[in-house]
Amino acid sequence: MSSTATTRPNGLALFILPSALLFGLFFFLPIGLMAVMSVLTGNPVVMPKVAFTTRHYARMIGDPYYLEVIWTTIRIGLVTTLVALAIGYPLAHWMARIKSRTGHALLLMAVLAPMLTGIVVRTFAWMTLLSDKGVINETLIALGLISQPLKLMYTETGIVVGLVHIYVPFMVLTLTGVIGRIDERLEQAAENLGASPLRAFIEVTLPLSLPGILAGSLLVFALAISAYVTPILLGGFQIMTLPILIYQQISANFNVGFAAALGIVLLMISLLLVIAYNRALRLVSGQRELQ
Amino acid sequence: MQTTASSSLSAAQQTASVRMPGPARHYGRALYLTINIAILVFLLAPIAIVVVFALNPTPFIQFPPVGVSLRWFEKFFASRDFMHALWFSLEVAVLTTASATILGASAALALARGNLPGTRLIVATMLSPLMLPAILTGLALFQTYVLLDVGRPTWGLVAGHTLVTLPYVVRTTLAVLHNFDTRLEEAAQNLGASPLRTFFELTLPLIKPGVLAGAIFAFIVSFDQFPVSLFLVSPGNETLPVTLFNYLKFDLDGTIGAASVVSIVLAFVVVIGLDRTVGLRSYVKL
Repeated sequence: MSSTATTRPNGLALFILPSALLFGLFFFLPIGLMAVMSVLTGNPVVMPKVAFTTRHYARMIGDPYYLEVIWTTIRIGLVTTLVALAIGYPLAHWMARIKSRTGHALLLMAVLAPMLTGIVVRTFAWMTLLSDKGVINETLIALGLISQPLKLMYTETGIVVGLVHIYVPFMVLTLTGVIGRIDERLEQAAENLGASPLRAFIEVTLPLSLPGILAGSLLVFALAISAYVTPILLGGFQIMTLPILIYQQISANFNVGFAAALGIVLLMISLLLVIAYNRALRLVSGQRELQ
Repeated sequence: MQTTASSSLSAAQQTASVRMPGPARHYGRALYLTINIAILVFLLAPIAIVVVFALNPTPFIQFPPVGVSLRWFEKFFASRDFMHALWFSLEVAVLTTASATILGASAALALARGNLPGTRLIVATMLSPLMLPAILTGLALFQTYVLLDVGRPTWGLVAGHTLVTLPYVVRTTLAVLHNFDTRLEEAAQNLGASPLRTFFELTLPLIKPGVLAGAIFAFIVSFDQFPVSLFLVSPGNETLPVTLFNYLKFDLDGTIGAASVVSIVLAFVVVIGLDRTVGLRSYVKL
């Protein structure tokens, strides 16, 4: 894909039009309308007299409750990202370095299988594992390790565990690509010069995979802060995040304007992340060109 | 690619003889494998647990399981709500796959061969629904349909799903288009084939694996899609994930397990089919 088109668009360029129409009508127009709704006093279709207002945004900034919700969302996203990185990296490393083709295929299957299982299904799985009478508590009680069930569900920890499980495959797939491109001989050279495998990893592989770490982390963070199902089911309607609040404004409060304003805030955070992610990916491909 | 792989392999063999194998290396290796196997267990155990609960006959979630029965599968397949949701989900997934595949493949073709200006920006835009919160796509479409007073039609839901599945088709098709030699097309045209004939007899068969992989991804993503559907389904006409979610809020019995197993089996069949037909490796790069 050359970004500098030296010749004029040809007939094939017209094939972009159906998708352009889809994005225009069902993506840009709706998001534009959402932005408009976020600064209106009401629904212009139902109410003939609507005026411009900043009260939805003022409400968000003025009430510590909403700032707390935004902070909870970001906190859960950050912890999820860090844990996903910690457990995604070793697996990605193994996948990138494994010699056997069958081994690689099996690992890939293991990573893709959860990814291709629906979010609702996986959250249900974690409910059966984490609840008071769930697998983990029953097993620990049967083993005599605890007498009272641990409170795993309806906590932020529970939400993070579920989110990590859902988004760690994205981390693994991003990292595998990047680690796979790092020449293994660099590590071997370091080891031949006397470095331990751990030191060779810390001083050679880890720094070279930083762009991948950045890209994977941004991706997981962006996905985690927009999660709805897992926080609501594993949080038991007790922990409020931005997506939960948005849906609640629509379904319970019918406050479309405020929901739109919350949506715009989430969109802005995500857009920044997308831009940063693309930058990180460009770093990855830049690195490949250097090699 | 092949040559670098083999040369690095021989380099590895050479260095292996030079390196001193110490006990520390063995412990390090054992730790590395132990950690990775623990991570694999973390990834796969929840899926296995779902299967256990789908087969466990007790009316509530109980561990350890007491037996094996198919009563939850019977309940699932006998439930009018679940069956309606399953068929509706399949209907939406089929319509979404068709539209996302046609739109996505043509867009990829235009991007790779159309000499469009600003290709990079267009690609980034078309892939953006992957990273932007799907719940916002749902919210924005919901508000638009309310403002336009169109209700919550099935086509509206399919449009939302197409938007979030299109990136997969664009990505897999672009990957194939970038991998094959454009001189083949030039050669065909130099030999007298019309652009149309070149497209149908050369380009289309060559990009088919990419398009197919994208279509399969689109199907699975649509079938499992939740956040967009949440806003766009109408009561009584819900997709399977939404029905499961509503059920989960109040009940935690084996029916959910059975429903989950049905969708897991579907995903596995599709993944294995994907691996057998076109190979997974080149299509999962993010």
